[in-house]
Amino acid sequence: MLNNPLEELGRSTRNIDPSILVIFGATGDLTTRKLAPALYNLGREGLLPANFACVGFARKEKSHQEFRNELKTAIHQYSRVQPIEEPFWKNFQEQIFYHRCEFDDDRGYEALAALLKQLDSRYATRGNRIFYLSVQPKYFSLIIEKLAKHGMIYEAHKTVDRWSRVIIEKPFGHDATSAEALQKDIITFLDESQIYRIDHYLGKETVQNLLVFRFANAIFESIWNYKHIDQVQITVAEEIGIGTRGHFFEEEGLLRDIVQNHMMQLLSLVAMEPPVSLSAGAIRDEKVKVLQSIRPFTTGDFERTVIRGQYGPGFINGKKVVGYREEKEVDPQSNVETYVAMRFFIDNWRWADVPFYLRGGKRLPKRGTEIAIIFKDAPGVLFKQNGRKNDPNVLALRIQPDEGIAMKINCKVPGPSSPIQPVKMDFRYGSYFGQSPPEAYERLIWESMVGDSTLFARADEVEQSWKILTPILDYWAKHPSRDFPNYPSGSWGPKKADEMMEKDNRSWRIL
Amino acid sequence: MTLQQIVDPERIEPELLQIWEKLAKEKMRACLFNLIVFNRLSARTDYIRDIVQKVSNKYPCRVLFISSDPEAHQPYLKTAVSVVGNEAIACDYIDIGVSGPEMEQVPFVILPHIIPDLPISLLWTEDPSQPHPLFAPLSKLATRIIFDSESADSLLSFSEKVLKLRTETGIDTADLNWARTEGWRDLLSNLSGRGVDQITDIRITYNARKTEFFCHLKVQSLYLLAWMSSRLHWKVKKISKNLHFTFEHQNGEIHSAEWEKLGPGTVISIDLATKDGHLFQCSRIPAQYHHVSIQISSPEKCELPYHFVLGQTATGQSLIKEIITKGTSVHYLEMLKELEQLDKDRLC
Repeated sequence: MLNNPLEELGRSTRNIDPSILVIFGATGDLTTRKLAPALYNLGREGLLPANFACVGFARKEKSHQEFRNELKTAIHQYSRVQPIEEPFWKNFQEQIFYHRCEFDDDRGYEALAALLKQLDSRYATRGNRIFYLSVQPKYFSLIIEKLAKHGMIYEAHKTVDRWSRVIIEKPFGHDATSAEALQKDIITFLDESQIYRIDHYLGKETVQNLLVFRFANAIFESIWNYKHIDQVQITVAEEIGIGTRGHFFEEEGLLRDIVQNHMMQLLSLVAMEPPVSLSAGAIRDEKVKVLQSIRPFTTGDFERTVIRGQYGPGFINGKKVVGYREEKEVDPQSNVETYVAMRFFIDNWRWADVPFYLRGGKRLPKRGTEIAIIFKDAPGVLFKQNGRKNDPNVLALRIQPDEGIAMKINCKVPGPSSPIQPVKMDFRYGSYFGQSPPEAYERLIWESMVGDSTLFARADEVEQSWKILTPILDYWAKHPSRDFPNYPSGSWGPKKADEMMEKDNRSWRIL
Repeated sequence: MTLQQIVDPERIEPELLQIWEKLAKEKMRACLFNLIVFNRLSARTDYIRDIVQKVSNKYPCRVLFISSDPEAHQPYLKTAVSVVGNEAIACDYIDIGVSGPEMEQVPFVILPHIIPDLPISLLWTEDPSQPHPLFAPLSKLATRIIFDSESADSLLSFSEKVLKLRTETGIDTADLNWARTEGWRDLLSNLSGRGVDQITDIRITYNARKTEFFCHLKVQSLYLLAWMSSRLHWKVKKISKNLHFTFEHQNGEIHSAEWEKLGPGTVISIDLATKDGHLFQCSRIPAQYHHVSIQISSPEKCELPYHFVLGQTATGQSLIKEIITKGTSVHYLEMLKELEQLDKDRLC
């Protein structure tokens, strides 16, 4: 694409190529909760291209207007900005269309191609396409093949005047083998530059701020290593259970659902070296290096430092809740994990012998995603009290909710004696910038329109992540847990996870 | 304090946010630590609430106040929120009322409302030697447990329990009655250069005026005696029910008196005699309770009396000090061990 001489680089957010966004699975939950509100907010804030149209693709029969009405209801329910701006919506909805088709129906794809051409001439979208696959992974290859067959995927290196991109929702495979197979299937029709693998965590402002925080502040980067950091804890805690996703969860489990993607992304962003530039390639190269440096698990580790759990009945917010095995569409003898805690080591110079503790789970006491950098103790020569050392400094990066950064430091309590008390310096996005940050999906859709893949997972990242975790899945398959359920809903997880930390003379943070 | 808003547990944080939004122009939200208080509803509850309120006024903290009512006819779990603090800086107060089988929910209700990275003090106002379903889960959360031996039915069992807890878990512990004797311990340590380590006789007098909040009135005096004995390595030989203690080379006596305005159980005076005939008479001054008049005399001379000011006179000060202090006092632990000897016959 030629540079626009009139565009001020790094400033404009409006000079985006015209395009049509086609959402596969347009009547699904993701469209309702995330995509529709994201598109509405992007449009309302003037961040969509001036020439734009959206087509919903799904198997249910409905008219354009019915689809628009459904989206409006979804926006009303889930948009971060309320109420809906009626005048804007009235115009915006005219650019939204619905196309009914089975995913394997060639005639339907032919009709789609025709519709897109028609919209091209109506909205001057110049043949640019984004296909958002918000469908079950088993349909990824099929849809991409059909799109290519019907001329809607352009060859990346031969086509310069228009482009086609495909956004894929996780999971990218079920294990290392299936991820490899999926990759093999889709690269038959797509170049890596055309694939946008969404991990919505990367769209969160606080996750993006990690790079800014680390590499735009000299004070932190200089102590970001084994000399000063004792341990890193990454927590993805959810208060909710599996809800209506029983069937999905029975197939996936927490390791696949959260650890393989979100948590490994957070881990690589925290641990990566400074990239040579802010280009997608440079950043993703550094992330992959982190994953490649992770010490492989041994058989002994699978019992000692990889802990799985499953929630039993308990209490959340004063209400009794059922255990995982009593949830809908769940096998009453299920051995699927709803909690994982594990210890990683990154065998490189920067992180030599610094443990990274990852913990994620459902039905924990509260929702919260956090990266905590726990620093080494100050020399205990001064300020000891009754033999007790002072608390270590902690830098807590809150990804969600209540996005922000907190620093725990020790402080003298006013008065003549010198007791020392840990205090917290707290930066909150909401109160500082006075607005809630945009939803991750807004940012990611926008990035895909701009053609910047920095915030999307590259094939080798996915592959490497599976390489690390697949041996765990294999071990679990051979050795089903005998103590499930092993933590009550509303607690911070199984005892074994605490014991793992105790053996290392450490403890989990309370969020 | 704002009016308490009764809310469902899931509405605790949103309701607090709403209260703070309304208070935005008047008060600033602050928190230095988490303070979990467990209390069984009784005549003492108001007293405990008063202490906690005073603490939060001075050091803003997130208070999680659990009141259990074992005598309620119906089991219940009620939660309420408010904001406390008289000045511009104020803090959150979360009330949890519970009875019957609902008790098992309490740890689950509390967990989401702990503010991370800040210390968690647990004020356990019940007798720790009595098993209680909430003690283990709450103490596991805490970075420091503060007991009040006033609540203990048996001082001996109390000491054993606290020492056992300390040995098994390593958790930091404190005791309000121990904290209440701090001024006297400072005073005695001040006198140590004057030959106090050569003591042959010690006589402690405490205020025996009972109130509905305090009934174990000898505890502070026993603490002081056990502390002296442990620090100076006295060896117990005989203890009589009328609070006369015979050590290998020393004698101790605990007496009572009634002072109207002084706190119940508070030590009124300590008189010491040494081997070389020195007498130390340390007695509170009735008009200024927190001042102690010290008169030292020997066979040769009688010195002019002077005043020693005991710190922590206001209610709640002992608790504040115990919250902000780190670790567990070695003197306290040794005193408890000594108490196991002194209180063998359940003097208190």
